[in-house]
Amino acid sequence: MQLSKKIVVLGHFGVGKTSLIRRFVENSFSDNYKVSIGVHITKKVVEFEVEDTMSLILWDLEGTDEIKTIRDAYLLGTHGVVFVFDVTRPSTFQSLNTDLEIIKSKLPTTPLFVVGNKVDLVVVSELETLFKENNIKTNFLTSAKTGDTVNDMFFELAKLIK
Amino acid sequence: MVEKDKVELLRDILFTDDRVFVQKIADRIGVIEQTIEEKDKLSEKVDPIISKQLDDFVEEIPTKLGPAITATLKEEIRKNKEEIVDALYPILGKMIKKYIAQEIKMLSNKISKQLSAKRWNIKFKSWFSGVKEEEIIISNLSVSTIEQVLLIERGSGILAASYSKTKTIDEDMISGMLTAIKGFVEDAFGQKNQNLELIEYELYNIHLQSFVSYYVAVVISGNYSLEAKDKVQDLIFDFYDDFMGKNLDSLFSSDGNEKKEKVSRASLEKQLNKKFENAII
Repeated sequence: MQLSKKIVVLGHFGVGKTSLIRRFVENSFSDNYKVSIGVHITKKVVEFEVEDTMSLILWDLEGTDEIKTIRDAYLLGTHGVVFVFDVTRPSTFQSLNTDLEIIKSKLPTTPLFVVGNKVDLVVVSELETLFKENNIKTNFLTSAKTGDTVNDMFFELAKLIK
Repeated sequence: MVEKDKVELLRDILFTDDRVFVQKIADRIGVIEQTIEEKDKLSEKVDPIISKQLDDFVEEIPTKLGPAITATLKEEIRKNKEEIVDALYPILGKMIKKYIAQEIKMLSNKISKQLSAKRWNIKFKSWFSGVKEEEIIISNLSVSTIEQVLLIERGSGILAASYSKTKTIDEDMISGMLTAIKGFVEDAFGQKNQNLELIEYELYNIHLQSFVSYYVAVVISGNYSLEAKDKVQDLIFDFYDDFMGKNLDSLFSSDGNEKKEKVSRASLEKQLNKKFENAII
């Protein structure tokens, strides 16, 4: 039986959650920004080895500036979480540690990746300095536009929750 | 030289060039007059210009006239709704009439069958139950069919097994979306221990039967009466009792206890098929 795992992707408005999923699932990108409403579900099968696959059921939750308002019903049974922020908009990562605490209180044992997206728009060395100054730790810096490390990020999470 | 000759000589000196010039103009005007008066010659000159202008005009219609035409049409539709409905009515009427005729034909066939083969059966049923024969016939005509059954893990929305009569979009995604809808409704109304039980859309109904760890979604087409609901619930409970109660707790437990015997998805689906494929509701 093919293993299926639920991944929840969340974060503030317009940080590129849907674009990251689209890049991972369809390998495409669009500049047209459409606000996600409610939840959108997609699926991607990742292959670790021959005949060793996993179905990732990706829950793309609508963006919110108040992470604590995310419906608990959407988080039930989650196997992995991706918290996305926009590296070009400090408002999306200023309260990152508080946001992460809220998520961990809802899903204490669930693996969580912190992802800074839109890295193609900044100088990475400057960003690293900024993060260091603000005590921000990320697992991945991605670009849904160029595809940079998007697949790696989801693949690593899949390996972790296998 | 006489006075007259002198004047003539002076005129020659003064007007020779002008006369040549005037003659040339007169010749040119003559050619133009001839061109205008003779259609063929005029066409030869003018047709390529008109043709070019027409081509340009045709090319520019969408950009130049398109918005104006659209605006005019919108305005006309707004002003003359009734006339437009009048104009469309016969077309729609024909389509509806054709559909109704087809349905009546099908109904008539069913009634004929009922009246012939099962006539006596219905008569007996009517005598014993006290229900009118017509009502029994109509009740027999309202058929509902199980189209799809999904066994879904509560919370995560992960699909455990499925049975489907026809191919649909990815069942893993359907399971996720059903779970999201179910979760949203149950969350939004804030009623503890209450479950979304039915989703209706046009000719289909999705019956949702919740258990502790899983829920079963059954897609039904046709008339979903109380009697049909009762039968669907019986089928689901039978399925759950027969199979899930014995095996699923160990099958999908996440405690990593490998000693427990796990049941394959294929086996689960075989059971679903057996239970629901030929079920009459």
